[in-house]
Amino acid sequence: MICSEFKKLALAEPNSAEPSFIRHSKDCPDCLQYVGEIRQMDTDLSNSLDVAVPSSIMAKIELNQMLIEEEEQGQEASSGFSFNRYAIAASFALALFVSGFMANSFLGGSRDDSLGEDYLALLSGVIEHVDEQPMTPVWSAEKANEAANMHLSNYDGAMKLKFLENLQFTRICPMGKYRGLHASLETDSGSVTFAYIKGDKVDDLLDASYEGYAVRVKPLRDGNLIIVSNTNKALQQADKQLDEAIYWNI
Amino acid sequence: MPDSSNETDNDQVNYDMTDKKRKYALLIEAHSQDLYKYALWLCKDKNMAEDVMQETFLRAWKSLDSLREAKAAKSWLFTIFRREHARQFERKQFDYKDVEHMDTIADANMGYDSRPEAFALRNALVKLPEKYREPLEMQVLGGFSCDDIANMLGISSSSVMTRLFRARKKMRHILGHETMPHLGVVGE
Repeated sequence: MICSEFKKLALAEPNSAEPSFIRHSKDCPDCLQYVGEIRQMDTDLSNSLDVAVPSSIMAKIELNQMLIEEEEQGQEASSGFSFNRYAIAASFALALFVSGFMANSFLGGSRDDSLGEDYLALLSGVIEHVDEQPMTPVWSAEKANEAANMHLSNYDGAMKLKFLENLQFTRICPMGKYRGLHASLETDSGSVTFAYIKGDKVDDLLDASYEGYAVRVKPLRDGNLIIVSNTNKALQQADKQLDEAIYWNI
Repeated sequence: MPDSSNETDNDQVNYDMTDKKRKYALLIEAHSQDLYKYALWLCKDKNMAEDVMQETFLRAWKSLDSLREAKAAKSWLFTIFRREHARQFERKQFDYKDVEHMDTIADANMGYDSRPEAFALRNALVKLPEKYREPLEMQVLGGFSCDDIANMLGISSSSVMTRLFRARKKMRHILGHETMPHLGVVGE
């Protein structure tokens, strides 16, 4: 191998194991220095991009795996039961859709444009997310609460969710700029969907009709609780439970 | 007594292929650091990097049975990541004019080395045309060989070598290590 060939290969693959490349580097000090500079540039470049992996992302990955594994096990264990759970979820989604459609018809509009920008951004983000994400039932309330608490502790170590037997946690929500927890809750007056999103707290509690749903956005701790319901009664009941449940600094 | 210090990432993932959970745990342990480093650099946004990484591992779990060889684990995972990144990038249609604008404050916020020489290296990498930058990122950040990169990009090994040659040549030029162009082109 001649020097020009060596330098071409050094730029393309500085750690090449080709025998002629290795032999030439031993025989030619100039080329050895050249490939040394290139390897150093690669090392420096790699080091300049070094970052620590946030512990929260590892916890979320493990949590996602735990949730999906549980779902898989549940499906295998009881396909009939699984069908029922999905049927309930599907019925709920259908009921929300139908009631949303009816409410829209009665209210004569899909959204209230008089809502502030902050509220609209939160509501559209949550509704879009809820519409997109399929229900992922969790098979035990204990696991659901454990999962929710693990997620909340990523926001703040002292933040905990009080054990709720009726909390059917759906899934961790990778919602882009939103970092939230999204779940459904059974009340005496029906199912309610809620999301808790950390940061950018709104100023005041807002009750409104949005896309046919009764919605509430309220500042809570260091974030916002968004409740989406078919009826005001269910919304009130869910809010009461959640207000008691989500707390920190205990 | 075996010398454990010679263990590579692939050796670490050289597990019992029938044990899905163990396989998955080792996959995370062996490759999450490199993948996050690659993800953050590509996404230029912590939240998006986390989202894509989560989705990547979720998809990896779902199709883990299709991974037959431990030595292929890393490129398999990075391929899933690249697909997911492309999918989310397309869907979200972020305005990348802002995030591609590099400054030392933005870099520090992402947790990068804030020294001027480190910034100069990252800046030089950003200035490369995408077709040259892409294989260099894969080799430097992922530690992939030319053949691995060729498989992932769906191009020939000689094309990868040409691109890497040009990428490093330009990098050295931007960093003031040499004038251009001196050497011919490998392959292509």
